[in-house]
Amino acid sequence: MGRTLATTTQLILNEQKEFTQFRRALRRSDQAAFDELFAYARQHVAAITMASHALPFETILLAMLLGEHSENRRLRTALDLLREEVSQFQRTVETLEKRDV
Amino acid sequence: MSENTGWFCDVYTHPDDGQLTLWVISDEGSRELLRQRFSITFYAAGKNERLRELWYFLKRQAIPVSLGRDERRDLLSPHPLTVLSVKVKRPSDQPRLFKRITQIFPDLDFYDADIPLSARYAATFNVFPLTRCRWVVGENGWVHEIIPLESRWELDQTPPPLRVLEIQPDTEPFHTRPKELIAHSGRYDWRLPLYPNRPFLACLAAVISRVDPDLILSDWGDTWLFPFFLRLSHGRHDLLPLCRDPKRGVLYKAKRTYHSYGQIIHRGQQILLHGRWHIDRRNAMMFSDYGWEGIMEMAQVSGLPVQVTARNSPGAGITAMEMIVALREELLVPYHKQQAEQLKTAKDLIEADRGGLVAAPLAGLHEAVAEIDAVSLYPSIIRHFNLSPETINNSGDEISLVPAINLKVDQGREGFLPRVLSPLLDKRIAIKHLLAELHPRDCRCSLLKARASALKWLLVVAFGYTAYRLAKFGRIEIHQAITAYAREIILQAKEVAEEMGFEVLHMYIDCIWVCKPACVRPPDFQPLLNAIVDRTSLPMALDGVFNWVAFLPSRIDPRVSVPNRYFGVMQGGEIKVRGIEVRRRDTPPFIAHVQLEILSKLAKARTVKEMQAFLPEIVAILRKKIKELREGRVQPSELVLRQRLSRAVADYRTPSPAAQAAAQLEAGGKTVNAGETVRLIFIRGEDRVLAWDLPEQPDPRRVDVERYTHLLLRAASTVLQPLGADEQVIQAWTNGSVPAGELPIEFPLWQNLKIKRLHVAQV
Repeated sequence: MGRTLATTTQLILNEQKEFTQFRRALRRSDQAAFDELFAYARQHVAAITMASHALPFETILLAMLLGEHSENRRLRTALDLLREEVSQFQRTVETLEKRDV
Repeated sequence: MSENTGWFCDVYTHPDDGQLTLWVISDEGSRELLRQRFSITFYAAGKNERLRELWYFLKRQAIPVSLGRDERRDLLSPHPLTVLSVKVKRPSDQPRLFKRITQIFPDLDFYDADIPLSARYAATFNVFPLTRCRWVVGENGWVHEIIPLESRWELDQTPPPLRVLEIQPDTEPFHTRPKELIAHSGRYDWRLPLYPNRPFLACLAAVISRVDPDLILSDWGDTWLFPFFLRLSHGRHDLLPLCRDPKRGVLYKAKRTYHSYGQIIHRGQQILLHGRWHIDRRNAMMFSDYGWEGIMEMAQVSGLPVQVTARNSPGAGITAMEMIVALREELLVPYHKQQAEQLKTAKDLIEADRGGLVAAPLAGLHEAVAEIDAVSLYPSIIRHFNLSPETINNSGDEISLVPAINLKVDQGREGFLPRVLSPLLDKRIAIKHLLAELHPRDCRCSLLKARASALKWLLVVAFGYTAYRLAKFGRIEIHQAITAYAREIILQAKEVAEEMGFEVLHMYIDCIWVCKPACVRPPDFQPLLNAIVDRTSLPMALDGVFNWVAFLPSRIDPRVSVPNRYFGVMQGGEIKVRGIEVRRRDTPPFIAHVQLEILSKLAKARTVKEMQAFLPEIVAILRKKIKELREGRVQPSELVLRQRLSRAVADYRTPSPAAQAAAQLEAGGKTVNAGETVRLIFIRGEDRVLAWDLPEQPDPRRVDVERYTHLLLRAASTVLQPLGADEQVIQAWTNGSVPAGELPIEFPLWQNLKIKRLHVAQV
């Protein structure tokens, strides 16, 4: 749109295009993971824009890392909750067993 | 001498003596053409010897001018500029004379040279189109004095009693050959057969004489009807009085194609009248948005003629407003923009060359979501932070810094651009306040909405024009400063919301969408609104609270959510939709209607839980519609889609459907320009596409039912996918292989989850 610089979304797409050959050499399952990393980056366009970093790929990497880490945190919380539920379940089972005995 | 009051409508030059003709409507209702003497002054600056040559050149001309040496102020320079002033005694001579001068003296700088006559007139007499005024007329209708009685910034002006004649051919002339002209004015309707021509011409002349309209509102008037009329009447006023002024014929402007905002745009030819107005609804800018009432408002505040306003972008209006302020303040209006972008380091450019803040939303369905908007954010920023060509990077005692980018703003004196925009902004906000107080069924509402919308577009363009390469008072640094402030303000709003425990679901340029458990009614969000206004010191408004809203993922990559693509239902029941099929012009009406029908069903659900109950009804609608499609009961006109031709037909390597259709039209002898919209339908067979505007009527049996069924299911999936129903699921429902409304997976709400998911697709 008559702009001097590319938009962040364009930047991400360009970077992704740069790695076409890299992606080709990946196994199918790794390709899916690769695409997900770039999806993390696109999910954080606003932050990448605000950083206005001269080397956008560094910020893109950071956004990917951020996506990866929030996913990590989400899984950790999910695991904690599950663990709690399981132990609660175990306790219930134990009390029931005791009662039966 | 006689005195009269009424409304000023238009001004143009007289063909005989080159002086002005004014068209006014008096209080008694008479339409009068008055005359007025007026002179035009423009300036030249440059090297002394060249100015002397220009002096001698002008002395030799047959056109009467008076020349002088003058000192004038330029907006950007602190010292006055010495200029040669050229006063042209006949206004009609000025454009011709100036054109000749620019050819011979291209090295000189010119000022005040290309100002539209009506804007110059408005700056001199403070009389704008449709303004109430009083005039004193001497012998032979020459005006001695004209004084405005009302200001263009007043809300409650007395509207002129305009007579409107609406005309249109009975069918679309570029699709089938029209047989009749349909005319309507007040209580009267006419249908005039176009053939034979002679009686038609007489009847049309009789209708025009009888109604004597001030405004002829047409469909395809510019491109088909008026050229047809003119061919029949050979342009003779006695045969067909199209203009009210017999001295001036119709004004014809050729069609053109140009680039704007990365799009190629085509404008049909234009036919302008004298002594009345002609507006072609199909060739007017944004007619569907603000109608002719909005056009009148825009003409009045900008000082441009009504017919020009109707056909030009609001940018011309903003430029005219800037010119008028400059003329009043005796500031020079440059012919060419002079200030180029200042030299920047790469780092500064990377930081500054950014637009508004656009963040990816949290995709999925959300309940009780408030949308908070800044009120006219960019113009408010211009005013609040005093952004103007002469205040940016100016040294002064009171300096403020633009956040994040390396720019200083002088706060010592109110800037030029804030002076231009302030009354416009105030008027729009006042209309908005008035609208909020009125009952929605009040008869004034639609008019006020059209006027507010026209003002909104002027304000929007005022921002865009700060970066326009040809804008007279533009400067890219203002544009950069505005967006920098806007990003800062929306981030501040986000921070305030998060501090108060709200979840920010989406940020988009001047809006944020927030929710918080137990915040449901508008008053629940008032403390947040107040806190944001306190922090940013800019006006903010609660646009409304959604019962529920769905932010959608991308079609290409469902893992990524798309900004500004959503649909939802406000608490008042209003459906709000952005970026989906029903809003897109390339959606056939049939598909758009079905999508809207599904949305209206979903809108009955007040919560996400209730939505599922409506699924069987929705599936029933889809089944019915697919059946209609298969049985050929859908009118082909309902299946037409519009696509813009982005380049000339020959330039396509792999032709898009639009290019294919355009090629068919060209084979049929029609020319299709880049930027024109092509209408087409999908058919079976090798071609797959048929141009709608070919003379032959499409055979309903050839309609590509499969393709339209696919489009229909896709449109349905757009609005049902947040519930977990994608295209395959909906297809299974419609063909009965899965019980209607049974969802393949449980799709829980965001708010009910203890842990946030990152993507919808991961479920």
